[in-house]
Amino acid sequence: MSVSDERDVKAPEGGREAARQAALEKIARSRDVAQERQLLGAWTLFYKEILRFWTIAGQTVISPVITMMLYFLVFGYSLGDRLQEIRGVPYVDFLVPGLVMLALITNSYINSAFSLFITKVHGTIVDLLVTPLTYVQFLGAYVAAAVVRAMLIGSIIWIVAWLMGASPFYSVPVALIFMALTSMAFAFIGVVVAILGEDFDHINLLPNFLITPLTFLGGVFYSIEMLPAPWDTVSLFNPVLYMVNGVRYGMVGVSDVPVWQGAVMLLVLNAIFGGVALWLLKTGKKLRD
Amino acid sequence: MEAVVELKGLTKRYGELRAVDDVTLRIEPGEIFALLGPNGAGKTTMIGCITGLITGFEGQVKVAGLDVVDHYRVTRRMVGLVPQELNWDAFFSVRQVLEFQAGYFGVKPTRDEIDALLDQFSLLEKADANTRWLSGGMKRRLMICKALMHDPVVLFLDEPTAGVDVELRDELWGYVEALRARGTTIVLTTHYLEEAEKLADRVGIINRGRLLRVDDREALMEEFGRRHVEVRLRETPSAQVIEALGQHEVEVQGRTLKLNYTRAGGDEEGGEEVDYLLKTLVGAGASIVSVEGGRSSLESIFREVLHEDADASSKGAS
Repeated sequence: MSVSDERDVKAPEGGREAARQAALEKIARSRDVAQERQLLGAWTLFYKEILRFWTIAGQTVISPVITMMLYFLVFGYSLGDRLQEIRGVPYVDFLVPGLVMLALITNSYINSAFSLFITKVHGTIVDLLVTPLTYVQFLGAYVAAAVVRAMLIGSIIWIVAWLMGASPFYSVPVALIFMALTSMAFAFIGVVVAILGEDFDHINLLPNFLITPLTFLGGVFYSIEMLPAPWDTVSLFNPVLYMVNGVRYGMVGVSDVPVWQGAVMLLVLNAIFGGVALWLLKTGKKLRD
Repeated sequence: MEAVVELKGLTKRYGELRAVDDVTLRIEPGEIFALLGPNGAGKTTMIGCITGLITGFEGQVKVAGLDVVDHYRVTRRMVGLVPQELNWDAFFSVRQVLEFQAGYFGVKPTRDEIDALLDQFSLLEKADANTRWLSGGMKRRLMICKALMHDPVVLFLDEPTAGVDVELRDELWGYVEALRARGTTIVLTTHYLEEAEKLADRVGIINRGRLLRVDDREALMEEFGRRHVEVRLRETPSAQVIEALGQHEVEVQGRTLKLNYTRAGGDEEGGEEVDYLLKTLVGAGASIVSVEGGRSSLESIFREVLHEDADASSKGAS
């Protein structure tokens, strides 16, 4: 069609009536079509999110694994020989769940926070907000993808540590459940921060000033029974301690705190963070203002 | 008959500001509706309320008879939006972006379907390129493709030709008309009046959140209907001729005569002034070089409506 020709651009009256009929037929068809394949949307977003980090796996998967393996070599083998057993477990084994959790927490948070925030920066959030995705589907896709990335990195570190001589398989299901619940909680936080954040500094604020300190002080490298009073008691107020020790129980069979307490706390934290994320999405605060 | 989009008392407040203020409007099936207004008039906000980008508004918005809040899963499936701001997903190729966008709406396009759409928008050879490397015009076209992936009933184009060169603009206008011919209702916002004049069946003029006028483009232009005829003579008209023309408002500038007149009733009525002007000139033996006519553009009508609105509000304030 020659679009520069004005006669083509302006439709004749007959054309308008034909367009009206075509439009009416289209509306009738669309109502039925709109009910189809309602789960495909959520699956697509989840799949896209997996593909997003996978296409840059060097940064998003390999790099954190290498960092953690360096920790493992330096702390576990070089310095670990000088440490006594902790709670009857060789330090190399004791360290594995700590390093798995260090990587897992950081990556679950950063995946959901960064990925959602970047859609706000690039403006592609609009493409999601106009879709028929429900709030639950939207949240579920982002969180599930973040959990997959975190669990993948955590599992690789776990297996590589085993290949390097550690024996971290006391109760695999317990370890996996704690890893999944922990990464889910931090993925929820990531979504909340991405929704509320206005620039990249806001995204980095939480890991720099809260998540990383809490994780390092949460028994990643040591048992709280090694701490002088009152720090051993103070540590009990750090929720990350319970997460790390839950995984530690699953991997090497020892924990500073009762495992059931960690499980209950994680369920409660997930309910709170998930609830806040869902509330933000449902009310449209900051996204649909 | 049911409207494709129906707004009843739509109001969106931001604190004291009413970005959209009590707007009631029907968009009819198969029409091209242009929403005109200066920057910040509330066009984008209004579209946002219909497409799901903006929630927390007062009043009612329906798409194909369904409330966009209660039945958002169905209404969003029927609506497509090409936003004003260029966007791109730096992680994926053109083809992937389109597959994802279709998937969000529960649509599974075949490779051939995507290729056909890309071809139509001259993007086929970029199908496997990362979207970040596309030019501005290509990104704009990709955004239209994205909005069309789920074959919406009504397509909203928010300032589609902002920052677009003339060639692409003409192409876009062609696409819009072709889409409408296939049954897609089109709503476009623009502050380029030429766009509305070329494309729109109906025009709505919005300012400071309020919908000031909605009418057929032709009716609007006829109602204001200012016209002019300019006659250029071979020689400067004599004093006699000027005197004879005196009863009509004719501007004389050297050898050019300009007659302004109103023709509110369309081409079939009025026009006696033109008839009189030309007969007088011919009767006086004046030699005519050229006769040119024209009518007031949508732009001048738009200015007039905004001007009236400004007057009304200043009276209201005082």
